[in-house]
Amino acid sequence: MKHVVKLLLTAAVIAATATAARADGAKIAVIGGKADDPFFAKIKKGIDDAAMVVKAHGGAVNYLQLQTYDNIGGDAANLIRTAIAQHASVIAAPDWVADSEDEAYKAATAAGIPVMLYNAGGGDKAKELGAINYIGNEEYPAGLAGGAYFASHGSKNVICVNTVPGAGNLEARCKGISDGIAKSGGKSTQLPLPASSFGNPTAVAEAIKATLLKDASIDGVATISAGDADSAANGIQQAGRTSKVKLGTFDMNETNLERIKEGTQLFAIDQQPWLQGFLAVSLSDGFVNYGLKTATPTILTGPGIVDASNIDATIAGAKAGYR
Amino acid sequence: MTAPLLKLTNINKSFGPIDVLIDISLEVNAGEVLCLLGDNGAGKSTLIKILSGVHKATSGTVGMRGKIVDFNSPRDAGDHGIATVHQFGGTFPLMSIGRSFFVGEEPKKGWGPFKILDRKRANDIAVKAVRELGITRIDDGDRLVGGLSGGERQALAIARAVHFGASVLILDEPTAALGVKEAAHVLRIVLQARQRGIAVIFITHNVIHALTVGDHFAVLIKGAKAADFRKGERTREEITDLMAGGEHMAELEAEIAAYMASHDGHPPPVAE
Amino acid sequence: MSNQTRRPALGNLLRRPETGSLLGLVTVFVFFAVFGGADFASATGAASWLNVAASLGIVALPIGLLMIAGELDISIGSMIPAGSMAVAIVSGHFHAPILVGIGTALAIGAVVGFINGVLVVRTAVPSFIVTLGTLFAVAGLVLGLSVILTGTTSVGIKAGPEAKWLLGHFIGGTFQVTIFWWIAAALLFGFVLHYSHYGNWILAMGGDKVSARNAGIPTERVTILLFMCSGVSAAFVGLSQAILYNSAQVSAGQSYIFNAIISVVVGGVLLTGGYGSVVGIVLGTITFAIVNQGIYYTGFDANWASLIIGILLLLAVLMNNTFRKLALAYSPARGKSRT
Repeated sequence: MKHVVKLLLTAAVIAATATAARADGAKIAVIGGKADDPFFAKIKKGIDDAAMVVKAHGGAVNYLQLQTYDNIGGDAANLIRTAIAQHASVIAAPDWVADSEDEAYKAATAAGIPVMLYNAGGGDKAKELGAINYIGNEEYPAGLAGGAYFASHGSKNVICVNTVPGAGNLEARCKGISDGIAKSGGKSTQLPLPASSFGNPTAVAEAIKATLLKDASIDGVATISAGDADSAANGIQQAGRTSKVKLGTFDMNETNLERIKEGTQLFAIDQQPWLQGFLAVSLSDGFVNYGLKTATPTILTGPGIVDASNIDATIAGAKAGYR
Repeated sequence: MTAPLLKLTNINKSFGPIDVLIDISLEVNAGEVLCLLGDNGAGKSTLIKILSGVHKATSGTVGMRGKIVDFNSPRDAGDHGIATVHQFGGTFPLMSIGRSFFVGEEPKKGWGPFKILDRKRANDIAVKAVRELGITRIDDGDRLVGGLSGGERQALAIARAVHFGASVLILDEPTAALGVKEAAHVLRIVLQARQRGIAVIFITHNVIHALTVGDHFAVLIKGAKAADFRKGERTREEITDLMAGGEHMAELEAEIAAYMASHDGHPPPVAE
Repeated sequence: MSNQTRRPALGNLLRRPETGSLLGLVTVFVFFAVFGGADFASATGAASWLNVAASLGIVALPIGLLMIAGELDISIGSMIPAGSMAVAIVSGHFHAPILVGIGTALAIGAVVGFINGVLVVRTAVPSFIVTLGTLFAVAGLVLGLSVILTGTTSVGIKAGPEAKWLLGHFIGGTFQVTIFWWIAAALLFGFVLHYSHYGNWILAMGGDKVSARNAGIPTERVTILLFMCSGVSAAFVGLSQAILYNSAQVSAGQSYIFNAIISVVVGGVLLTGGYGSVVGIVLGTITFAIVNQGIYYTGFDANWASLIIGILLLLAVLMNNTFRKLALAYSPARGKSRT
């Protein structure tokens, strides 16, 4: 038993020194979502692209990803602690669940490791935690922009389809839509779907169809993800309301973009995830190596509205994996 | 004299260093009931497993009708006409009588890929076979086996074995979980099977049940055959004593002698 | 047997595995017909739950047969996205003919099912654990391959009109063509379970695998075939959804695992095997779909959807248990004198 422990310890020390020896520049730990999440795949591309710069500076990027989204706050906190244990020179991470993660961030700061918030958390949080900066989207303003866009295109009664009710960022999106449209006298209510419908496009489509049939005054549907927008388009079509009900979504995919080009979808609210990954890593690298820091307090990568006016460039970017 | 239907010669079985069966030799003839008696752990179930092809003997031979046979699987034993019915009879409680009766031997009708299970024929045959054993309460082959009483399940399992041409029927504690009336019914069915010329091996530790139907008795104690006798050769008390104590035969013999001495040399009458 | 009389209809009904689920279905239908109003009872309302039931039902059928045979397959949770990604990558990204894409997807389903079956049969590890392993393995494989081959995790596919007509269009604008595939699958599985002798084998295997093997049933071959059925069916659902919704995502379909198991159990299949019927599985799937979708026709706040789903499903399962007990206890001679 003792031998085994000794052996493991030796191996760990060798591994640790090996990593340390390899990275004499910045060792950047990035905490992120599952790689099979299409959204995080784009962030990851930004991270990978920025990693080339880091490498050129003699550093290395280590992407620590969540295995599931079942316990997102706790798992992310554990990953932050893992990064601390690995003696990262800087940690870039989303603050999804402040209550669970903030303690870990404080532990990082206490260990002398600077933190860069990206994707979730917001500028105020970054200030509170003493983070370098916040790079990303703020859900509520993105929702506001979406609501305003709906209003300016004539929608008065919009449902916001939430396939993960209770998730703070998604609730903020729907609230933003609601407040954004209210400014012009319209209204928006949330349609929360149960977990048994998650990932089942038919169940989502049918729920939207049924809701449209029940309330003929609905003239807009907002969805919180690109896949849900595909289901929504189907539900709207089944209800026979394609011409009357406008569709807008947070995030986007290839099929969404084609619909925008065709004219059967009004818009998509993009938070430009590639930029988040790219900036989080490249700005962290600049800060740790050379003390570089932007003067802009919060770097918002979104909302970027994708509609008929910029669809061609967006499609080109999507083909290359940047959007 | 023709060769016995089933003959075990010097069967030994060890699991690693533990000898479970020691030098067992037994014979069963067609139309005879052999009662295998013994306390728990005496090796009865191991012996059954060897007979039904689950285990192979470490040494010794199994012969059928004068020929040495070698069972590699329960299926193999079944093909030789050996059928085993366990304590709870039907092992598929949630299947219908007709369906469970024909598991693995389903009657079919129709042609080509559209051959379908002939449910009606299965039900009819199953019900008829059980009723022939005197279970008249069963008249619907669609009923679930789990809804039958313990005795009825035994009857169904025995009927199944008989229907598929078993020549040796091994009954493992068929009466152990039954009430008095049901047990009597199962014993009657055992006698019916015997009448049809089937060799029955009846495992029990109920001496009364054994004496009621047995022609031939063998007592196992700690893996060895402690006694082998024909009907009427031993009394119920003798057998009970054999099963319960029985480590030292001499001690037992002495006890029996003392018993007989106190009864003027007469054994007590056989309870029947 | 000449004196085998017709049993009274009640007795026959009581002991059928689907009786409980039929009552469960009627209960939830009446519930939503009352609270959901005219829209729920209309053709488009029916399409709401039929469409959901169809894709779920195609997976639930083989899962049900596996459960009757005493096994479980949860790898469907990643076989569904594997099927949709396969067709989207092969035919959408690489522009191969749609038949090649469909063939690839189904072949992957068959291979994964075969691996599941062989592992279960050879290792004697419970199928829940084996398929839990393949659930993750397939998910990882799909993700890895998708990123290597296409650089993204969400692939679009534009199927031709024939493929759309066969797999991905709405009849009359409301009913998914998948419903007909489901009906075909139900007829096929119904034939296998209730009319062919294989059905007897499956029931016997679920009742007692050892006895079934001793009775001469090739239990290993049947087990492997059943796992292949569920793999192929899951891949089929995945590919038809990709064709229907014009896109495929790497991570979708985990909710099918529980939804399929719930449908099967609500349909009267015993979780431990040996008892169940195809009609029951179909009814259970419809019940689940109605409960899951009916809420949107009612005036209830959708926040309560999960609660209502949970309660109605519990009721349906309790109904099943009651009827299974009745089926076991049922005997025509009850009360008469016994031998």
